[in-house]
Amino acid sequence: MITIALSKGRLADQALDLLEAAGYDCSAAREKSRRLILEDEKAGLRFIMAKPADVPTYVEYGAADIGVVGKDTLLEEGRQLYEVIDLGFGACQMCVCGPASLKGKLDQIPNKRVASKYPNITRSYFEGTKRESVEIIKLHGSVELAPLIGLAEVIVDIVESGRTLRENGLDVLEVIADISARVIVNRVSMKMKAQTIMPMLDALRAELARQKQKEGPAE
Amino acid sequence: MGRRFRMGNYRFHTPDGVSDMLPEECRTKRELEQKLRTLFSLSGYQEIETPGIEFFDVFASGDFVSQENLYKLCDQEGRILSLRYDGTVPAARLAATLFKDTPPPLRLSYVENMYRFRESGGGRQREFCQAGIELLGLSSTQADAEVIALAISSALEIGVTDLQISIGQSEFFKGLMEEWNIPAEDAGEISRHIDQKDTVALEKAADRYGLSSAAKETLLLIPALFGTYDTLEIFDNRVENPRSKEALRNVREILDILDDYGYTKYVTVDLGMLRSLDYYTGMIFKGFTYEVGFPIISGGRYDRVVSVFGRDLAAVGFSLSLNLCMTALRRQDKEFAQVPIDTVIGYSDKPGMRRLALSMAKDLRSEGLITLVDCEGMNEEDLRLFAESRDIEQMVFLDDEDCGCEEEDEK
Repeated sequence: MITIALSKGRLADQALDLLEAAGYDCSAAREKSRRLILEDEKAGLRFIMAKPADVPTYVEYGAADIGVVGKDTLLEEGRQLYEVIDLGFGACQMCVCGPASLKGKLDQIPNKRVASKYPNITRSYFEGTKRESVEIIKLHGSVELAPLIGLAEVIVDIVESGRTLRENGLDVLEVIADISARVIVNRVSMKMKAQTIMPMLDALRAELARQKQKEGPAE
Repeated sequence: MGRRFRMGNYRFHTPDGVSDMLPEECRTKRELEQKLRTLFSLSGYQEIETPGIEFFDVFASGDFVSQENLYKLCDQEGRILSLRYDGTVPAARLAATLFKDTPPPLRLSYVENMYRFRESGGGRQREFCQAGIELLGLSSTQADAEVIALAISSALEIGVTDLQISIGQSEFFKGLMEEWNIPAEDAGEISRHIDQKDTVALEKAADRYGLSSAAKETLLLIPALFGTYDTLEIFDNRVENPRSKEALRNVREILDILDDYGYTKYVTVDLGMLRSLDYYTGMIFKGFTYEVGFPIISGGRYDRVVSVFGRDLAAVGFSLSLNLCMTALRRQDKEFAQVPIDTVIGYSDKPGMRRLALSMAKDLRSEGLITLVDCEGMNEEDLRLFAESRDIEQMVFLDDEDCGCEEEDEK
């Protein structure tokens, strides 16, 4: 039995589409119910529906063998996992954003205040990559507000289309990382259940390649 | 922020990451410890005990342990102390100080609690028991294999039979980085990507350094392949540099020796296992079993550890987490033995009966039978009920000097 942890929401649906296209029966997980564990004994699959930020935790501890989760969550949680496939969907970027007037001048502000839902990514980017001390202000949503009303100079957040930013007079100042959905695997499961997990990963990779080919050179 | 407790309200609780051990579990743990001590000792590894509290510098100076992971205290002189983080570093300190005149090789073992400040969850505790060995002063492949074999024997000895050992080699990767002229700091990042099997990031890195397509292919194969001799051969055909070739030869010979031990079926090669590259200087291995999400065994060659303390001594060793193994055994439904009491003895208030009861208990205990003597002044009927309620096999009630030795069997 393989346990797969999915991030509740759109990501879960896309992951199930892909699994089905790759030849796995996911009807158990398609049931519209409030159940959190959906098991299909015949297919040897068990799905758990979790909050995205919890998916890496389930997988690191081995409560789930495999997980599908955004790279943003992986970077923020910093867990010890195998990160095996980039699924491509849910694509966006993790960015430092702020008033466009700060473009190119970010390094001139000492000890700046940075608001973010992602305090760990923020810390590792400013302290690790840029070697700079900042004050991190953890927020839970509508992070764009922070620079507008003077709570912080800049924010670190994911940017998809950039519309929210532009409507609020903000702009991308620096790109930290490319984000998309990833397949993660527990380090022990990869060894102990290799006979089930490896073929599944191969099937997913093959299906992704097929889809990419069908889309043609658009990408 | 957090819930506010008044002073004294923690008195019913234990801190995060530590736990009480109840009789059944404790007894099982002692048995497992004993099995491991016997195994280590029969294999020529002498047990040592190092202090639970060391100077912070002992663990921090080699740059192998990050300070965030150490429990820190202060002594009366204002010096920073640290709780024992692992078994290797204190053994290395001993080898370079108290054992400095002892000719190598040194074979040392330990069974002790370790303390890690940040570790918690998933069966991992902040205080946990590790059993391990250090083989110091030998740099041969035979020594590498001896340590891995003893790790396998240890797991089997305590009942972990669904065992999978993965062997890697840090020198293989380091040689490749030299061959491809990749500077050390970037190599660190690449090794992390390999260790996480993050092929997306690896491909980007390969393009960034302008690796040839053959080199890129090799890089991407590292996290993808695990097997035995076949894996080694594939890489042997793909690398040129002597450092990587030597690493592959080392692993091949380890496999040969482990086959002589009869342990081939437990072993696979995974050259993508690249944790703590600053620490390991040769083969690396980890042990896995079902039902725990973390490795139960961790080991390898770390030749630089003793030199931090001023003695140039090769070092190879492993540690096994007893707590994780017990969690695994429990989840794999390998029941822990109950703690049976064999006999309970009661006595009447007639003269001499107590003396008789006590000497009888002494005799029974010397035969290895777990024996209780009543301390509540129970009469015969109460004692019988007590014995029944506790599943005690045999009860003896002494009422009369003449019949004192007649035992009343419960059954």
